[in-house]
Amino acid sequence: MLISNLIMPLLASAFFIYRRDAFAEIGSLGYIAAVLVFTVGAFSLYTTAVTTLAARRQDLFLKRLRSTAATDPAILAGLTLPVALTAVVQAVAILGVFAAVSGHPANVTLLAVSILATFVMMFALALATAGLTGSPEQAQVTTLPISLLTIAVASWVGITGTESLTLLKRVLPGGSATELIVHTWNGGVPLTESLPLLAPTLAWVVVAIVLALRLFRWEPRR
Amino acid sequence: MEQAAQRPVVEVEHLNVSYGEFQAVKNLTLRVEQGELYALLGTNGAGKTSALEVVEGHRPASSGTVRVFGESPADRRAVRPRMGIMLQESGFSADLTVAESVRLIGRLSGRTDSVDRVLDVVDLTRKAGTRVGQLSGGEKRRLDFATAVYGRPELIFLDEPTTGLDIQSRDALWAAVGELRGSGSTVILTTHYLEEAQQHADRIGLMHQGTLRTQGTVAELTRTLPAAIQFSLSPGAPTPPLGAAQPEGPYRIETFELQADLKRLLDWADLYDVDLHGLSAAPTRLDDVFRAIETDVAPTPTR
Repeated sequence: MLISNLIMPLLASAFFIYRRDAFAEIGSLGYIAAVLVFTVGAFSLYTTAVTTLAARRQDLFLKRLRSTAATDPAILAGLTLPVALTAVVQAVAILGVFAAVSGHPANVTLLAVSILATFVMMFALALATAGLTGSPEQAQVTTLPISLLTIAVASWVGITGTESLTLLKRVLPGGSATELIVHTWNGGVPLTESLPLLAPTLAWVVVAIVLALRLFRWEPRR
Repeated sequence: MEQAAQRPVVEVEHLNVSYGEFQAVKNLTLRVEQGELYALLGTNGAGKTSALEVVEGHRPASSGTVRVFGESPADRRAVRPRMGIMLQESGFSADLTVAESVRLIGRLSGRTDSVDRVLDVVDLTRKAGTRVGQLSGGEKRRLDFATAVYGRPELIFLDEPTTGLDIQSRDALWAAVGELRGSGSTVILTTHYLEEAQQHADRIGLMHQGTLRTQGTVAELTRTLPAAIQFSLSPGAPTPPLGAAQPEGPYRIETFELQADLKRLLDWADLYDVDLHGLSAAPTRLDDVFRAIETDVAPTPTR
């Protein structure tokens, strides 16, 4: 948990910030910002949330909490809020360091909105994935497809842009969020063009929540 | 108000619980009155855990209705402050201490109590600062019981409460249950220890293969099956009365009139000067009813 939640994203972020000139050359500063956001989102938030929920289900703590008056959303919030807050603090700290060494983002407010939308999507995907994850050990495998896919999409979109294969890149999980982060960091794109990019991300939130409602289990399979 | 006070604490009507094609509970109907200790017993896979999980609010019913205090058990905010649940398996966070666990679960349940008082009831005061992960199995069961009785709830579910407990802890647990019942609490019990159900339950329901085969007081259940008189005779003794059968081993007389038939047998033995070796007369026990259910010769429900 310490590795996925803290060490891995910090090491990856340190590498990207240290080699920022090389990465900016193949993409842009906005591309680096997007990869940093998705690194934190995939490891600190998504993987850790899946692992936490699987562990709490396996040791029957979820069932224990459901034997109280607490509602299901309250239970999920209580267990995952520390994970989400840690991810937000990490993202703010890492992007703060990146901004200090490479220059401030063009639109901080919209950047914050895009990071928030990205994290909500990753959290919703975590709930869905937790439904397919029987144990914390299994989480090491079940989280790989989405965590690797979102980081790969962020890299692909961040480096190549969305001039080609626009629709595909935008509907992939994290594609439009990456484009939005790149725009808000680099600047030069009107708000009317950037804001619609929130829609695919929010659509993924809806898809993930529908999946979570179908897949999430509160007790181990008997 | 008066009408509400007269309602049963638990009302289950035509409850069905299915997992895909498998029907775990079939058309279960039962009521538990205020202050009762109702034991729901059954063979492995009988459906009692599935039924209780619906009554506790842990699982939705496939069909049928369940009311607890007149409310849906799924409405946790309405029913859980009045209901304590001792789960079959603990499910505590290993990193929390005993006192922290009781405080967390007790408060989340919407009840108020003193953690010290509850730990004293289950004799865990010395372990208050110990992490749950370091407790023995029996201590975890006592911690589970502590969270169930925190705040002296009106309804308490005890799922296999004494499994893994030593005799002293069992006695202490039943003493605490007795004290709660004295103050009006209702208890729903599941256990594999039939003698505990026989000793403590006001009424017992016996489930088998998803259906409630019979329910009633211990006396009502046991009088539906005959008691047994057993003895052996010396070679050459006359044929005993009362249709005593001897398929193998000792003679056996099955009777619903144990006292009268025992007297007849003793009178016969006196008359013919016969020794009844190894004479025993055993009333019907709950085990016998349980076995009859398993072999599908169960009596019909009494009420």
